[in-house]
Amino acid sequence: MRFFSFHLMPYPSLPPDYDGPAWVTCPNEFFDPAVGHEVYNRYLDELVYAEELGFDGVCVNEHHQNAYGIMPSPNLMGSILARQTKRVKIAIVGNALPLYDPPTRVAEEFAMIDNISGGRLIAGFVVGGGPEYYSFSMNPAHARERFAEAHEIIMRAWTEPGPFEYIGKHYKLRYVNSWPRPFQQPHPEVWIPGAGSLETMEFVAKHRYAYMGIPYFHISVFDRTFRMFREACEREGYEYDPLQAGWLEPIYVAETDEQARQEYEEHFWYFVKRLLPGINISPPGYTSIRSIENILKGAGTFAINLQTWDEVVEGQYAIVGSPETVAEKLTESLRRLGTGNLLGLFQLGTLPAHLTRKNLELFATEVMPKLRKEFPEGARVLGDQAAVA
Amino acid sequence: MAAVTEGRLSTQVGKVQVFRGGPADGPPVVYLHSAQGETPGLLFLETLADWAGVVAPVFPGFGESEGIDEIDDIEDAVFHLLDVFDSLGLESPAVVGLSLGGWLAAEIATRYPERVGRLVLVNPAGLYIEGHPIKEIFGRQLDELALELFADQSHPVAALMHQMASLSMSTLSGEVPFDLLRPIIQSQAATAKLGWDPYLHNPKLRKRLYRVTAPTLVVHGAVDGLIPRAHAEAYAQDIAGARLVDVDGAAHMLPLEKPDELSAIVREFVAG
Repeated sequence: MRFFSFHLMPYPSLPPDYDGPAWVTCPNEFFDPAVGHEVYNRYLDELVYAEELGFDGVCVNEHHQNAYGIMPSPNLMGSILARQTKRVKIAIVGNALPLYDPPTRVAEEFAMIDNISGGRLIAGFVVGGGPEYYSFSMNPAHARERFAEAHEIIMRAWTEPGPFEYIGKHYKLRYVNSWPRPFQQPHPEVWIPGAGSLETMEFVAKHRYAYMGIPYFHISVFDRTFRMFREACEREGYEYDPLQAGWLEPIYVAETDEQARQEYEEHFWYFVKRLLPGINISPPGYTSIRSIENILKGAGTFAINLQTWDEVVEGQYAIVGSPETVAEKLTESLRRLGTGNLLGLFQLGTLPAHLTRKNLELFATEVMPKLRKEFPEGARVLGDQAAVA
Repeated sequence: MAAVTEGRLSTQVGKVQVFRGGPADGPPVVYLHSAQGETPGLLFLETLADWAGVVAPVFPGFGESEGIDEIDDIEDAVFHLLDVFDSLGLESPAVVGLSLGGWLAAEIATRYPERVGRLVLVNPAGLYIEGHPIKEIFGRQLDELALELFADQSHPVAALMHQMASLSMSTLSGEVPFDLLRPIIQSQAATAKLGWDPYLHNPKLRKRLYRVTAPTLVVHGAVDGLIPRAHAEAYAQDIAGARLVDVDGAAHMLPLEKPDELSAIVREFVAG
């Protein structure tokens, strides 16, 4: 098992009387630069702290024109982390490839971070969220095609001698010749986050990359998602490696179950009720009909529909409690899901700095050792297959 | 009202649906549908077929028409429609287009003016008019959209949109009867290919309107909540000899709202 601390870098100070979406049209007059200065630095400190506490890696991601995650450039954050950490993997999950034109920019910037960090980059590629296609006025009907071409350009830029010519439908590049080349050869580990789209799983399985399940659904949706991913790997003719799958999950540990809920709950609801609205925009043509049909199967359980704390607990929308409770629940779910990477969200919504640090400390000292013992790295994670069905 | 029947036509991009009806000796009238994909069962076509040789092709990506993967932009769309004209022996038909269909009709008429005998643009998209934006059609709640598309919210289609309002087009949430949602998702995806960016217009179209040679009628639904009248005015102003008529009590989906009145307007114009 590899442990990652994932940070969304949320904007914690939306006005109390604002009840609109946190995406695309959320007025940017709400962004207070004083808050920005404080939280950017604080959030970076929290990621750096994860290294001190013994995590295997840290994760950042990319979103635009929203309050959910004020990280339009995760590569800036990744490059800071490359200097401020010495040991952890830096997972940038990911760059929204269709938004980079030409996409050789991703090959260059990722390779820079990989060189600076001495080979600690994990390269994440994403199509970009639905809202991004509104925020960039980019045609969602071309999203998948552009992603496929951009992916090919980047991987070839990293692995083939340049210069070479790439003439595709969306990109026509006469000289692809990326300087620098990545530190890790032939290329950094590649992660692809997905929300249950079959095309994405098949793409990941085909290339033997790692699939990261996007959270905020009922735990049963993850059961199905990772089962579908394992099946996609089997259809490609191989048995999947647990390190090819990651489970992204909000986690909060406190001294007791009661205290954990008491300290955490309001911050969780800020996240669900204030920052999620608008994230689930699906622009036309962005997702194929067959994928929409599959995604809709889980859509009713999307966290935005949550009403009560009991639902949160039952569906494991967040795992919250004493070290014993959290370790027990994580062990049980990790065994069932079969994922070899745990991506914990230890800060969520308005969770303040001191509680975030305490959460990280308790997790690292009292939960992580137990899980490391349960799931030695390289060992099979998946339990009884029949229990999954 | 005369019968309109469905057929299939093989084209370069795939098989498309074509609805046809009316007297063999009637003047040929092509109807190009809007982003809603209205064509199957459209009463207006039956009304037209009383006197005209109606041909209503369903654009790739809409209904059961194949081939949207082969169409990326307005130029591809124009060539596809020319292929349809050629296959059906339509040398210079009257072309009636609603909204997106009006835009496509104007694109054909500017590029190949000889292929359009008469041009009827009903609440046409296709232009950008500063200060008069076309409202958002993508990702809207169906009940909100219905208020802009229909003058009378008790129209059966408007009523259906209100019923479906609990099912969001924009957010994939709730328990959704997928069969009801599928055609909307497909129509929007096909429309996005042509009109996401730039949004429902071709920046070069307006300065090409001088090329239109067909007698042109622009029809504006007086209470269209989607496309402001300024768009109809711009077409009428820049196409030589074009006339603009307003239809009272109609909004954007004018052919659904006022089928008899529109049919009479088109008939008089085509005969004139």
